[in-house]
Amino acid sequence: MASVYFLVFKRFIIFILLQGLIFNNFDFFGSFDPYIALVFILTFPIKINKITFLIASFCFGICLDLFSNSLGLNTAACLTAAFSRSYILSFVFGSFFDPLGLKLIKNYISDSSFSQKFLYLASIILIHHFVLFSLEAFSFEFFSLIIYKTFLTSLLTLTFCTTTIYIMIKNEK
Amino acid sequence: MQQIIDFIIRKKDVVVYLILLLFSLLLIINSNYFHKSKILLFSNSITNYTFDKFSFFNEYFELKKINSSLIDENLFLKSRLEKMSNNNNIDSLKNVIFKYKNAKVISNNLSSFKNHLIINKGADDGLKNEMGIINSTGIVGIINRTSKNYSSVMSILNIETKINAKVKRTSHFGTLEWDGLSNSYLLLNDIPETADIKVGDSIITGGMSLIFPEGINVGVVSEVINKNKHNDSLSRLNTNNGKYLDIEFRENYLNIEVKLHTNMNNLNNVYVIESLNREEFKNISK
Repeated sequence: MASVYFLVFKRFIIFILLQGLIFNNFDFFGSFDPYIALVFILTFPIKINKITFLIASFCFGICLDLFSNSLGLNTAACLTAAFSRSYILSFVFGSFFDPLGLKLIKNYISDSSFSQKFLYLASIILIHHFVLFSLEAFSFEFFSLIIYKTFLTSLLTLTFCTTTIYIMIKNEK
Repeated sequence: MQQIIDFIIRKKDVVVYLILLLFSLLLIINSNYFHKSKILLFSNSITNYTFDKFSFFNEYFELKKINSSLIDENLFLKSRLEKMSNNNNIDSLKNVIFKYKNAKVISNNLSSFKNHLIINKGADDGLKNEMGIINSTGIVGIINRTSKNYSSVMSILNIETKINAKVKRTSHFGTLEWDGLSNSYLLLNDIPETADIKVGDSIITGGMSLIFPEGINVGVVSEVINKNKHNDSLSRLNTNNGKYLDIEFRENYLNIEVKLHTNMNNLNNVYVIESLNREEFKNISK
């Protein structure tokens, strides 16, 4: 169990530095940054209980905010993504999902179809981005802009996150 | 009670999520200026609406007083009109520098160091920042923020307000400031010691910044504080007496206590002064 916490801590540091120092300055097509830090929430070990997960993602969000100078925005978004993860897991993977966390992410990836993987990643990313951008705009006036930005950034994040997760799994072997 | 605790334990992750979410929302609102102002604007619009409705009832009790002050003002204006009509040469179109609009005070605050009033006209009525506010007896303040239908007025009883004023008899210019304590006295600073100021002299606006026209009543001199005084710091301390906090007493300048004509406790009808040349004046004095 201790090694799991060490793994989580390692990822915490790596993803915050990656996001804060490199990916926040990407600026694709003007103003679209891929949120690669979401990999931390997507691949958080299911073994660790939910409340620890919520608190960890809260701290993760605060650290992200410190880098992007928007205290609270990423925190709320990461927290919501983390909270919705268990519901999405049970919804997407159905009976295959075990809440006790005996299966590893590797098993989820090897034993599930493409649509399941896609649905899991896309729904969490969409939830995170929607919360993030709607809190940033803070009004219904810009609803269409929020939706537009959510979708475009989600596409970017999705490609980047997928590659990152595959690289991680390759390295773990 | 048992059931409530059971429910909380069963849904503990939801509870933790909500608590943390609330905390992060608080962070957002407190640390980002944009979000804070948005929340403030929203809550202000609600309170302003209730103030507006409440003052509707309050007005009935003040009607008599308002009537009498309006009559007084009418008389004064009529006498001025007569004077003006004798002098036909003035081209009334060219000489208009200030326009007046009327407004109503819907909330008034006197208790803090930075007092503000809210009036019931806003950007939709053409009000902008840095417009002066007077009532029939004297000056009231300067607009510092406008929303769609309401404006916030920095009252003269605000330690940040500085208004240019002069002594009517000797035409010496000075700056009016508030010491933050009494709500019927202001301090007039920066008047040279050589000026011969007496108790009872009237103070009027100086018209230098073009916020207020020249010659609006402010008050009368009630005390000249550091007259005939040596320059050593001890005597200055004595005259200061702890009465005027935070006001610097400068050498070779008089500090004059001015009793206000305006009664800041019951403001109702006020006039907004729009200065038509203000932009031009600001551009050239940059």
